[in-house]
Amino acid sequence: MTEVVVSGKDVWKVFGSGETEVSALRGVDIEITRKEMLAIMGPSGCGKTTFLNCFSGLDEATRGEIRLEGVDLTSMNDDAKSRYRALRTGFVFQSYNLLPVLSAVENVEMPLLIAGVKGREARERSTKILGELGLAERVNHRPSELSGGEQQRVSLARALVGHPAIVWADEPTGNLDEEGSRDVTRLLRELNRQYGQTMVVVTHDESVAATCDRTLRMRDGKFVS
Amino acid sequence: MSSTDSVIPILLFILLVVGLISAGLAVRHRLAFRVGFRNVRRSRSRTILLILGLLVATTIISGSLIVGDTINELDLHYTLLGAGYNDEILSNVTPTGSLAPFPYAVYTQVVASTTGDHDIAGIAPEIVSTVQVWDRSTGVPQPNLHLIGVNGNQSQQLGAFVTDGGQSLAGAAPGKVLVDDLAASELNASAGDSLLLYGVSAIPVPAVVQAVVQDNVRGAFPTGGVGNFGSIFTDLATAQKVENFTGQINLLSVTNVGSQQGGVALSDSVSATLNSTLVKIPSAAGVTVQETLKDGLATAQSAGSSISTLFLVLGLFSVVAGAMLIIGIFVLLAEERKGEMGMLRAIGLPRRELIYSYYFEGLAYSAGSALAGSFVGVGVGYGLTYAFSILFPEPGLSQRAILDSFTVLPQTLLIAYVIGFLLTLVTVVVASRRSSRLNIVRAIRDLPEPPPPIRVYTYLAYLGLLAFVLGTLLFLATHSGSSDISEPVIGGALMILGAALVASRFVPNRVAFSAAGLGFVVWAGLEPLHTALLGTSHTGGIFIVFVEGIIMVGGALFLFAFNSASLVAGLLRLANGRSGRAPVARVALSYPGRRPARTTITLAIFALVVFTLVAIATFGGTIQANLNNTVAEQSGGYTFFGFSSAPIPDLAGQIERNASLASQFSVVVPLYLGGGNINVSGFSMNPFGDTVFAAPTGQNASSDFYTTNHFPFGSTLGGISASAAMHELETNGSVAVVDQTYAAATTNLGGGGPTAPHPSVHVGEAIRITNPLTGNTTSVTVIGILLEGTVSGVWLNPVTAMSLGFRQETAFFLTTAAGATDTHAAQLAKAAFFRYGLVLYDFRALLAQSIAGTEGAVGLLQIFVGLGLAVGIAALGVVAVRAVVERKREIGMIRANGFTRRMVLQAFFLEYTFVSLLGIGIGTALGILIVFNLSSSPGAAAAGVATFSVPWWNLLLILVVAYGLAMAAVAEPSLRAANLPPAEAVRPTE
Repeated sequence: MTEVVVSGKDVWKVFGSGETEVSALRGVDIEITRKEMLAIMGPSGCGKTTFLNCFSGLDEATRGEIRLEGVDLTSMNDDAKSRYRALRTGFVFQSYNLLPVLSAVENVEMPLLIAGVKGREARERSTKILGELGLAERVNHRPSELSGGEQQRVSLARALVGHPAIVWADEPTGNLDEEGSRDVTRLLRELNRQYGQTMVVVTHDESVAATCDRTLRMRDGKFVS
Repeated sequence: MSSTDSVIPILLFILLVVGLISAGLAVRHRLAFRVGFRNVRRSRSRTILLILGLLVATTIISGSLIVGDTINELDLHYTLLGAGYNDEILSNVTPTGSLAPFPYAVYTQVVASTTGDHDIAGIAPEIVSTVQVWDRSTGVPQPNLHLIGVNGNQSQQLGAFVTDGGQSLAGAAPGKVLVDDLAASELNASAGDSLLLYGVSAIPVPAVVQAVVQDNVRGAFPTGGVGNFGSIFTDLATAQKVENFTGQINLLSVTNVGSQQGGVALSDSVSATLNSTLVKIPSAAGVTVQETLKDGLATAQSAGSSISTLFLVLGLFSVVAGAMLIIGIFVLLAEERKGEMGMLRAIGLPRRELIYSYYFEGLAYSAGSALAGSFVGVGVGYGLTYAFSILFPEPGLSQRAILDSFTVLPQTLLIAYVIGFLLTLVTVVVASRRSSRLNIVRAIRDLPEPPPPIRVYTYLAYLGLLAFVLGTLLFLATHSGSSDISEPVIGGALMILGAALVASRFVPNRVAFSAAGLGFVVWAGLEPLHTALLGTSHTGGIFIVFVEGIIMVGGALFLFAFNSASLVAGLLRLANGRSGRAPVARVALSYPGRRPARTTITLAIFALVVFTLVAIATFGGTIQANLNNTVAEQSGGYTFFGFSSAPIPDLAGQIERNASLASQFSVVVPLYLGGGNINVSGFSMNPFGDTVFAAPTGQNASSDFYTTNHFPFGSTLGGISASAAMHELETNGSVAVVDQTYAAATTNLGGGGPTAPHPSVHVGEAIRITNPLTGNTTSVTVIGILLEGTVSGVWLNPVTAMSLGFRQETAFFLTTAAGATDTHAAQLAKAAFFRYGLVLYDFRALLAQSIAGTEGAVGLLQIFVGLGLAVGIAALGVVAVRAVVERKREIGMIRANGFTRRMVLQAFFLEYTFVSLLGIGIGTALGILIVFNLSSSPGAAAAGVATFSVPWWNLLLILVVAYGLAMAAVAEPSLRAANLPPAEAVRPTE
């Protein structure tokens, strides 16, 4: 039986109130299974990123039920969500959001250290995954010394190093050129197969969606296909 | 152990606790520690900028304490100089302050009783008095020199005199005198000059100047420092002859074992020994022991503390501004790192870890800035000391002595460091909590913050209720009585704040807090409200200026923060009328309105600093204006007030007949002067006696007191005019006029010492006057109270005065003639009437000295407070630098839409002109208001401050300097913004 990792029932997200009220999610129902690589597509403003933010625990849904690995997200306080994110999720964003004061390997080991992994082990695992992503020679470089594609690969390594159950990627190729985009898309697919993590990729890029197991399309805060 | 020293272990303990807690946190939160410390090293130039911004508070604390230490040292210098090795003095001080003679045998008996006491190094019998000296060789008189008569062989423990040539002398040879540098300068004397010494006997005693000696430890005794005209030293026999003290002395000087300061530790035990000895000597009745050096050192310590407190309180505004700058800097840092922080939160870093990372970063900044600030404070302290040395034209207080007194104590630096470090750290912790609150999604995606929603916090209403209750309790407990006035004022402010917080639960924030802002300004800024609600019996020091200043500036900022949108909209409507400027104005003014919190912080910093500067300048202007008025009141229109030790018969006639003097004076008024006892309702007004004046009638026009004086009255019986009151005094033997000190409830007994309480005298009241010498007594009715208090006493009708026995013309008013100079006229008069011991006090010289002193004090305080401008400039600089980064894309867009470089530059300058001028305007208006309040308070009226004066040119200078420096601070970032290539600016970058 396929295990459901992410589920949502009648999830709403409303911004503003009164005349300025906008519903970014309108009763979303979804189930995402383990090891699945899912693409979320749709026009700008349809609610893709809001979906990712609410379901990953970065933002609060206005109402509805969201469960991650069977745990009700709405029952968690801020610390519990932080802990869950540190142990069970990884994030990849369009802007890589690396800490400029830390080297590549230090950036990658950050989630491990937050999760309480010992320093030596964190360093070994981070160096290893950077090597797997083709950055063995760049582990001690600062972000400013890396190209955009390399920075996104560091960001990928950071998202995957803790072997999270779910990886959330928001326009991971948005800032990259065609070659960089292909490179990252390939890596995402390979890593999904290698580590067996659930991946949810919000994207505008059809080529990225084409590599995924399933594609859902959103319009006006709902999945339409 | 001084109070300062006792604080050090506490501060060190606190520092240790903070260090241990921080070390523990660093071990437990290594990640936050690593991120925090890496951020310190992120950009050297930014770290330097941050440290410069943060060090202001420590610099102000350090500078204030060092100025206090220096004043302590200066006072200590003059105390040690003045007291020499005289640890204790045995004398019989009369109520008038002179030293009564006692038998020489007291000396021999005291020596006999204390021989073998290991704490006493020696005892010297002396005569100490004030004499008139005439240098016959130079022709220069000096009617007010100290005479110290002591034998060299009996005073070796007091040290040796050192001549200007470097030769050591034990004392003056018989018939000769040693003249100290100051007295030599006054007399224009040198070795070999022939002097005449006039003492109580008024019989001149000739003496020859043996040597001019240095004003060192021995040569400056007994009164080194300010107001001293110098001393001459003779052997005991010569002094006895001058003062007609045959077989008598009037002072025993006791020197303790040990160094000059070290001997002070023995003062208590030596005093006890001497007291027990004196009670056994009948001829020593009235002789008491004073611990001269110990008391002097305590006074010096107290004076230094007072100066430190003054500087610290005035520096508090800059310290508060500095704290706001720290918050501003951290808010900006947080915004700059929003993306990184958002990502850290996204991957699971709890919020508290973010706080810790800021904490560790702030810890490094605090430690570094406090260290730098402590040492920058040394420079500031020296600068202030240097300014002090050139701004205070006190005679006897040399610039060299002041600069030599500059003192930096390690414990002072330590105190400044620890307080500055903790203050900065606490502010950093507060700022960290604020900075770590972020929306993860908006932070990661660099989305703008949405406009703040209308917030209704129930807990704020409860907090407001608590503030209101506390404020009410404080107000009720302190609004009457004599407590410090800042207490009920704080209580009232808490009530207003509490009411606003409660009201914000029910009405829009803008309404609640605008009303509170207005309430703050009215409450702290409306003096009649204080008088009506709090009465006039409260005490108040400089701290009230700080309290009212903070409340008023806070009120003005509330008004701005909650009405900035309307203000900006109004200004934009004005700008729209000038079409050419509209786009620039729109861009420039939209930002302050869009970021009210940041703008309010910058405004607060400017307003606080300018408020202090303007308040000090206006206070100085007001004091000066009142000095002019005061001296006009005190002088009665005359140039000099004079005393003579012997009556001068027909002074006016003698001057008129003297060819060299006749052209110098236009008015010469003789006065009868005597000592009486005034009794009001059975109460003796002054236990030391009162002075009685009367002006003889029948004088010619230029000597008639009743028509030449212009003394104003504070009140008269039936409200009659001053001339009518003077006419009444001239013609009616049953009336009297008193000076304003009799209207007070106490009499100062001199020397800044104790005061004696007595009933206040009112017009229409009957007072009884007795001449203790003749026993004659009479009762007169007070018909007027003069505004003056310098020539203090009771003015009687001349017939009444003479009937009581007051008939000696030993006091005078003189006015110099047109074309004559005051100094020259005084010298000629003093020389001509030297044998009468004529001393003249120049009212105008007193005025000039007071004005110069006030200008010096105001200038010094302005320099010190002006340091706070550095905070404002740093704040504006930081905001401007950040704005260029933050608004890069906006700048690119407006450039793409047709803005020229010049327009971008204009927009930036206009924006910061708006913020800085608004801050300067708030500070200026409130600074003037607070001094207006002080000058119109009942306390000011009692102190004779009747005129409020604004030094507009000085304020204009402050405004121009503050605005100019603000524009200089934003010039570079503004130019950078203007020169951004549009293509680069619109491109998103990491």
